[in-house]
Amino acid sequence: MSEKKLAYYPGCPSATTAIEQDMSTKAVFEKLGIELSEMEDWNCCGAAEAEDPILVYALNARNLAIAEKDGLDIVTPCSICYYNLARTDKALREDEGLRAEMKDIDSSLEYKGTIKPKHILDVLVNEIGMDELSGKVEKKVNVKVAPYYGCYIGRPSETAFDDPDDPDLMDRLIELIGGENVQFSSMKTKCCGGPLMMTREDIAFEMARKVLESAKNAGADCIALACPLCGMMLDAKQPDIEKKLDIKVEMPVVYISQLLGLALGIAPGKLGLNKNVVSTKEILGKVI
Amino acid sequence: MGIAIIGGGVAGITAALDLADSGFKVYLIEKNAELGGKMAELAECKTGLSPKIVEIENHPNIELLLSSELESLSGSAGEFKLNVSGNEIEAESVVLAPGYDVFDEIPKSYAIANPDVVTSLEFEGMLRSATASETGELLRPSDGKRVKKIGFIQCIGSRCQENEICSTACCAYTAKEAWEVKERYPDMDVCVFYMDIRVFGKDEELAAELKDKYGVKYIRSRVPEVIPENGALSVKFENLEKGTIDKLDLDMVVLAVGLLPSKTLSRLAEITGVKTDKYGYIETSITNPLETNVEGLFACGTATAPMKVRESVAQASGAALKAALLSERTEMIPGQEERKYVEAGEEPKIGVFICGCEGEVRDCVDIPAVAERVSQLKDGVFVNSETNTMEEAMEAIESGIVDQGLNRIVFAGYTPRKYEDTVRDRCAKAGLNPYLMEMVNLREQCAWVHEPKEATESAAGLIAMAVERARYLEEIPVERYPVIPKALVIGGGVSGMNAALGIADAGYEVYLVEKEPELGGSLREEIGLQSGEKSSDVLTEFVDKVSSNERINVYTNAKVEDVTGRAGSFKAKIAGEGANEDIDFGACIIATGTDESVPEGYYGYGKDKNVVTQPEFGKMLGGTLSANTVVMIQDVGPDGGVNPKYGSIELMNNVLKAKEKNPDLNVFVLYQDIKTYGKWEVLYKEAREKGVIFLRYDKDKPPKYEDGIVSVHDVILNDEIQIKPDLLVLSTPAMPAEENERLSKMFKIPLKNGFFLEAQERPKMKLTPVDTVNEGVFICGSAVYPALIDECIAMSSAAASRACVLLAKDFLETPAVTSVVDELICSGCGVCVDMCPVEAIELTEEPVPVVTFGVATVIGGTKRIAKVNDGCMGCGSCASYCPSGAMSLKHFRDKQVYAQLDYAV
Amino acid sequence: MIKTWELDANFRNEIMNEPGGEHLSACFQCSTCTIGCPIAEIVPSYNPRKIIQMSLLGMREDVLSNPDLWICAICQTCTARCPQDVRISDLLAAIRRIAEKEEEAGKLKVDSVRPLFEKAFLHQLEKYGRLFDMGLAMEYYKGKEGGSFIKGQLAMMKDFKDFGMRMFKKGKMGPKAMFPEKVKKKEEIEKIFEKVGEKEK
Ligand SMILES: Cc1cc2nc3c(=O)[nH]c(=O)nc-3n(C[C@H](O)[C@H](O)[C@H](O)COP(=O)(O)OP(=O)(O)OC[C@H]3O[C@@H](n4cnc5c(N)ncnc54)[C@H](O)[C@@H]3O)c2cc1C
Ligand code: SF4
Ligand code: SF4
Ligand code: SF4
Ligand code: SF4
Repeated sequence: MSEKKLAYYPGCPSATTAIEQDMSTKAVFEKLGIELSEMEDWNCCGAAEAEDPILVYALNARNLAIAEKDGLDIVTPCSICYYNLARTDKALREDEGLRAEMKDIDSSLEYKGTIKPKHILDVLVNEIGMDELSGKVEKKVNVKVAPYYGCYIGRPSETAFDDPDDPDLMDRLIELIGGENVQFSSMKTKCCGGPLMMTREDIAFEMARKVLESAKNAGADCIALACPLCGMMLDAKQPDIEKKLDIKVEMPVVYISQLLGLALGIAPGKLGLNKNVVSTKEILGKVI
Repeated sequence: MGIAIIGGGVAGITAALDLADSGFKVYLIEKNAELGGKMAELAECKTGLSPKIVEIENHPNIELLLSSELESLSGSAGEFKLNVSGNEIEAESVVLAPGYDVFDEIPKSYAIANPDVVTSLEFEGMLRSATASETGELLRPSDGKRVKKIGFIQCIGSRCQENEICSTACCAYTAKEAWEVKERYPDMDVCVFYMDIRVFGKDEELAAELKDKYGVKYIRSRVPEVIPENGALSVKFENLEKGTIDKLDLDMVVLAVGLLPSKTLSRLAEITGVKTDKYGYIETSITNPLETNVEGLFACGTATAPMKVRESVAQASGAALKAALLSERTEMIPGQEERKYVEAGEEPKIGVFICGCEGEVRDCVDIPAVAERVSQLKDGVFVNSETNTMEEAMEAIESGIVDQGLNRIVFAGYTPRKYEDTVRDRCAKAGLNPYLMEMVNLREQCAWVHEPKEATESAAGLIAMAVERARYLEEIPVERYPVIPKALVIGGGVSGMNAALGIADAGYEVYLVEKEPELGGSLREEIGLQSGEKSSDVLTEFVDKVSSNERINVYTNAKVEDVTGRAGSFKAKIAGEGANEDIDFGACIIATGTDESVPEGYYGYGKDKNVVTQPEFGKMLGGTLSANTVVMIQDVGPDGGVNPKYGSIELMNNVLKAKEKNPDLNVFVLYQDIKTYGKWEVLYKEAREKGVIFLRYDKDKPPKYEDGIVSVHDVILNDEIQIKPDLLVLSTPAMPAEENERLSKMFKIPLKNGFFLEAQERPKMKLTPVDTVNEGVFICGSAVYPALIDECIAMSSAAASRACVLLAKDFLETPAVTSVVDELICSGCGVCVDMCPVEAIELTEEPVPVVTFGVATVIGGTKRIAKVNDGCMGCGSCASYCPSGAMSLKHFRDKQVYAQLDYAV
Repeated sequence: MIKTWELDANFRNEIMNEPGGEHLSACFQCSTCTIGCPIAEIVPSYNPRKIIQMSLLGMREDVLSNPDLWICAICQTCTARCPQDVRISDLLAAIRRIAEKEEEAGKLKVDSVRPLFEKAFLHQLEKYGRLFDMGLAMEYYKGKEGGSFIKGQLAMMKDFKDFGMRMFKKGKMGPKAMFPEKVKKKEEIEKIFEKVGEKEK
């Protein structure tokens, strides 16, 4: 990778529910010698709740414009943030009228389309690249992993950066660090239910249950993922799901940045591995 | 110079043979190391194609350039220079037939990495190897277990964002594959997931049979994923009746992949300057379906649009004619040279040629052992068992006759059904009377039916029998008669006129007979064509060309009567107003088109003035349209016709025009299948976008129209819907032309549903939909199957081309063949009885003797077998349809007199 | 029984004029969307394909009052696979917005708490420029309990007691979660909401 500096868009949960993702992302990039410079005064991307496309474009145009001023590509660890940034980038690039409309709302929304928003997974595998990463791997993370991609990484197609049905960027990272991918392909991209968590908990839990139980049945030691909403659903809510549906899963759920961090020899504490709700102790035992 | 053909698939092969057979020099350029294209990969087609490939390889007028590609093209029509992999070629015209590639970006959601999920092309290969395998079973690739449940998923890579259009062929080939599966493995569960069943003509009947008789489940769902689960392949679909998602567990899934333009096409277009359309196909137009934008370059087959073999081949013949018109005939036509036969003499010198048939025989029969046994037959025979291809075998035979003076030939190997003509012709070329040859079918009779040891045994036995027969073979005098270089065309619609123009331009005189007072046929109705042209403009152009052509004699208000004779030499009478003329001609083309149907009584048609047919609605669109709500119903009306191929296209066309006139018009289309095949799919999309509502009704619950209200049960919404239209438009079947019945009897061409039946894949004929069981009589246009104008034009050019191949000859030989049943393998199924156009076959109970020679295991008794009687005209229909290969054409000694008499009339 | 003359033929245009709803009419009812939908797998009545056909027919009331409108997880599976690029997920959002407007105009009662949640979410954004979890939860529960703050708090406690403790223990509900993080240039965010809001009308 030629650029050694990226604009970092952490997303709202970075300070709270997904703090371990934020910590591990920063630690990994530091170790890789790439500077993440947190964007000045970023705002929320609208998540899944801003349903009006114009509102989404406006919110994200502002963020894009901030990074554009510094001439930096954006990297974000959150799939939804990525989707909102990327679709806005695409819409504005393609539609002059829309660009004018944005500028009309406020001059801070003026975006020319000279930078690119990217998901951390994309940056790690496709920009930094497997060669460079493998040179930096210090430890073998000998775990069986169910790589869970969820939505927005492989779909919709305009913003996707991996296969919609059988994505493999995480799979490749897991192989790289000495882990084993369990048979999980039909679940990899199934929605975790996150967006319905607050309004239809019953459905959301059922969706999450399918993911969790599939991983368990496939013999995984843990689930790896790359989105804080999935993390919230599968990890933070796991005890609630177990209770409500009267099941036992006890499936550790970690961010891919945490796993990679372990392989790069970063201390577990710096990767926030004590912050995951389901204990990650067993995983730490398998780092050699 | 000559004509260059690019692409050696079925289209290229057809064009090459049509041209070479009429005396043109042909360069056939194929990028692969073998001829055949995609068709050679299909389960059942290889056998139909191989004889043609052999013919090409042996054709003196064809220069075959395999593993070759066009690198540059310069010059213009009449004087092109081509660089083909380093070779310089000069050609007056070029036919482009680079074909298609299948869609290969299949989403991973279909579990394509799973060995039990295969594409249709792979499945064709599996069917072929199942046939050849010992058990004949269809086995699951993953674990070798018998397949019990199989599912076909249609529209993979078609009608979607990656490929907007419909691939036209996949509905039909899926039906064919499902049929084959059911025929061979009746217990297998077969389901087909589809959106619309886009099959036409014969295939439409097949699809109906699959559902009703074979129990194939057609499920309406575009299935997006295949989930491997617990050793099965799980497929979800929508149960429309319940509105819920259901699941089926299958052993195997076949993905019906779509057709895309050949990957080589963009480069070819660059080199030749030929324009491609937005889908990447060679651009042609609806009224000039074979011409490209570059003069002298013609296009045919799947390079112009996705289509089936039938249409590809018709286009190829048509393009061949167009190319021929720009070229000069420079070569001899094979078989037309003077032939002198050596005196065969009393003393038979028998040569036995046993061919390995590219392994098909060699792998199952111990050829050296057979040769050893045959060479020990009494009186000694010459045995050659070294050859492995048809070409090698033919050379061996020729040199056997010329160099060794053999005067009786026994050829054992390839099936006589397909190759008898080739072998006989080679004998004649070498100077041996062609009827001094006997054939033994090792391929079907031994290799395919017996265990290796048994097969060797029975091969030796069969050859011994043939040697015995050969001893007593006598020469049959070969009679030749001159070909009358004139053609008769019946029907003055666009097909008939186009055919007449084609033949006349090729230099032959034409009689064009039309029963109405003027030329034009259905185009006389004022319709706006899909291209935006007005039918009247197109018509005027045709009529002008026809009437100003000196070689075309037009007879209107006239009919053809009293036909006699045979290919090359017919006689008939043209009778009608002011005409009463006896004519003779060498070939005839029937292009009688269709009659419009009048759905009297359907939905009050005839009484209620607000109920009209689609063509009537089309005419109304010429004026103002006062309706607010229009309901259209597809597929209604009287029995006795067929659903035209253009049904849905005509409907979309009218709908779009109506919406243009009145954008607020509410239109509801009640349909069973929307059949906007190929590029016409975009009309369907446009109609939806313009706000037309499509409701699907069930065949068993047709819509009702009472008190001004249409009620329909929409099976997709699963609800009853009522509409108050001010206009009800009915899409009705097309009716056969009234004259067909009479012409059918006169020309001995069978009808089906009142339309002329094409004879495909006959031993003596090329694989084109314009040929009929009666040699020398061709059919085209809507008289065969009602289709759009582009198809009618391509087909009528094809008919003209086929007629010209015949007319190019100076003389023909009296046919000395008739059908013969091999009583041992006839199963008494009676298929031939139905196929024979002149009712020359009947089924009889025959005592079957115990067979010596150890050939078959049949013990004495009686069995039902087919018997051919004197009426047989040697057309070969029975032979081509006989499922057990028991029928074949044989020369007839006792019928020489008949043959001569026949010619005398 | 559906009587087409009683339906609203303009409904399709209404949807297609709403951002995200533009591609409605391309649908050819192939079922791809429904077959692959994770919600349809769980809730038998859920059928986006059917909602589309009803919309095309003009069954405005049936569509807008359909509770299933509100349970789409916007996972984009349907959108990614739709052969006609209908963008179902955006389309359903467009229909939901029409339903919300209808409700605001007092013409319809939406049978879902989802609008409440989304509004509460956007309020946080409007106020702070970023998501404030606590604020969101408080506002949402208040709305859910008929506007009573106290009832809302009680309900929230009931639902989130365990979760809250868990988060707190892990240091994820620390001071940062108790107080909103704010965007500095608040006026820019306010402008966005103000102007986009206007456009909507
Ligand atoms: C699975 C499947 C099943 C089918 N089953 C049926 C069926 O049962 N019935 C039916 O009617 N149809 C069927 N079809 C359709 C049928 O295959 C086609 O209609 C037919 O093969 C088209 O023939 P073609 O000659 O136009 O093209 P092709 O068969 O593709 O031949 C084109 C040839 O041109 C060569 N070529 C390409 N580019 C160049 C170049 N630049 N220079 C030189 N050579 C070139 C290619 O190598 C190829 O040999 C089926 C199709 C599929 C996919
Ligand atoms: S509808 Fe068209 S694309 Fe789909 S399977 Fe049938 S022929 Fe092929
Ligand atoms: S070959 Fe003879 S018997 Fe056979 S179908 Fe033709 S006419 Fe009838
Ligand atoms: S997938 Fe697209 S075309 Fe198919 S039913 Fe759904 S919306 Fe319509
Ligand atoms: S976006 Fe909604 S409708 Fe589409 S598949 Fe996901 S849950 Fe189903």
